[in-house]
Formats: sequence, structure tokens, C-alpha cells
Amino acid sequence: MIFLLSVLTILNFNSPKMEIDSAWVRPAAKGMNSALYFDLRNNTSNTDTLIKVSSPVAELVQVHETLNKNGLMEMKEVKSLGVHKNQIIKFAPGGYHVMLIKLKKDLKAGAKVGFVFYFKKAGKIKVTAVVKSY
Amino acid sequence: MMNKKILNKIYFIIFFSIILILLNGCGKKLPEDRPIGVKNIVLLNQDSSKVIFPDSFKGKTLLLCFIYTNCPDICPMTTHNMQLIQEQLKKENINNVQFAEMSFDPQRDTPSILKTFGDIRNIDYSNFTFLTGKSSDIKSILNNMNILALPGDTTKTESGTPVYFFTHTDRITLIDKDGKIRNEYRGSKADIQAVVNDIKILGD
Repeated sequence: MIFLLSVLTILNFNSPKMEIDSAWVRPAAKGMNSALYFDLRNNTSNTDTLIKVSSPVAELVQVHETLNKNGLMEMKEVKSLGVHKNQIIKFAPGGYHVMLIKLKKDLKAGAKVGFVFYFKKAGKIKVTAVVKSY
Repeated sequence: MMNKKILNKIYFIIFFSIILILLNGCGKKLPEDRPIGVKNIVLLNQDSSKVIFPDSFKGKTLLLCFIYTNCPDICPMTTHNMQLIQEQLKKENINNVQFAEMSFDPQRDTPSILKTFGDIRNIDYSNFTFLTGKSSDIKSILNNMNILALPGDTTKTESGTPVYFFTHTDRITLIDKDGKIRNEYRGSKADIQAVVNDIKILGD
């Protein structure tokens, strides 16, 4: 039994995963809005879908994309986002971002913020992001 | 045979013309010189002090951008670029430049909200100000400066707080000490050194 558990544990540790790297958040005051940025890597052998992100620091958390339409900047909510196998999607300023709407507290530079990402196949992934100074 | 004196004169004229052409090509000129189109508009800064736009800024080079504090992505990028330009000018000991961020969402962006937005970003207010005002006045400035800001659909948070965002122009505008628009940049993607160079062209 112990041997079986050990093998399963080793297999689990070595299996390719969905990764979220370099997560950071913009500073913002309580009641205002902020954004979370990161690199999303699908290291699994299947396409997966990001369906939700949650955080206790904001009243509402949504995935958005900023679009430049003839010089006008526009944001659109992304209800779900497919991530192909081996694909890296960069959530970066001026593009995809996780929007933190109506913050419940100040997010000052250096603070850490917890998030939970929900994927259709990979399930829940916990991430901690650092608040930058800009 | 041509006289040697005449030949020397021709060589001199050709040489002088080449120098003039080279000098003209190297000296960058700013593309625009047009009026802002408004005057004597009373606005409020982050401390609720009156600022007359654009008159209060005459005599100084003004770098003006347009934002709203509920913006989570583009407007903070523009604000950060304004801070980087401010820092670079300080390093190069270039003074007589004022920075201003005008809200196109005056209903929500009160002076105290603007102050909170600035404070959390450690804005150096020594030559940096936020501006808000009456909706009709702000609208007049936006129209004259070709800035678009269109509110989108309103949604609500779980507690019932209404939430809406703007589709908007992303711009930083360079205004000379006579109150004329001299250049415009994409606010969130501005080339910091290019803006600094343009400010240098305007001089003290």
C-alpha cells in the first residue's frame, strides 16, 4: 500500500501541469480597481479552459482583454479562455488581465495577494501575486 | 578655362549648401502647433484647489494626459509613463515642466479620489497635478482636444455597487509655454526618451 502511494505521489509530482508564473498586481486603493498579470503555461498534453479566477481582496474578479480599436482602448470580459497544449498565454498590461473590481482593502507595493484559478480539467490552482509599485 | 577664383566660390557655395542641408535634416521639428481651443476653465486639483485651464500652466511646458481612476489597465500604464518622464527630466535637471492628469470621469473622480489614486502610486506632486471639474467643462476640453471617452454598460457587484468602464483615447499631449499643442503620444505606450527629447526641443 505504501509502495503504491509512493508511486502515485512520484507520478503526480512528475506529471506536466498547468503553470502560472510571474504573477503581479497593480497598486490600488480600497474601493478602486486593479489588475493581475502573469504567464499562463499549459504543460499538459490536452487543451484546457480557464473558467474563473477568485480572490478575497475584491468584490468582483473577472478576466478581461484590452483591445485597441482604431486608437480607442476598450476592455471586454472574457468568459472562458482556451489554452492549447504547450501554449503560453501572457497576461500583460494592455492585453489580457484579471480585473479586481472594488477592492476590499488597499493594495500597496510589496503586499501579497492570494488567487484561485479554476480550470475545466486541471481544477483549482492557488497562486500568490506580489503588488508592484506601478 | 574657368577662373580659379570663380571655381573656389562655386566649391564654397556647394560646401555651404551641403552643411545647411545636413543641419536642417538633423534638427527635429515638432509636428504640431495648434491651439487647445479653450480658455479660463475652472477646474479642481487633488487638493480641491482651483486651477484655471489652461491659463494656470502658461509659461511652463505642460505634459497633459487623460485618465479615469476606475481604469485598471491602460490609465495606470499612462500614469506610470508620466512618472517615468518626470523622473528622467529630474535626472537631466530639466525644470519648468508641469505634469497634469485630467479625469474624463468627473462624476466619480472627485478631488479626494484623485488624491487617493495618486497617493497609492507615490506621485511626486511637486510638479504633478490631477484635474477634475464640472462635467460640461471637462466635455468642452475633451471635444476641443479630440479626446473620446465613452462609458460602457453598467454591471453590478454582489453588494449591488454599479461598475462601468470607458472606451477611451489613450493619449499624452505636449503643450508649450504659450498654450499650444506641439505633439501627441500614445499614453500607455509612450517612448519615454522621445517625449523627453521633444521637451528639450521646446527648451526652457
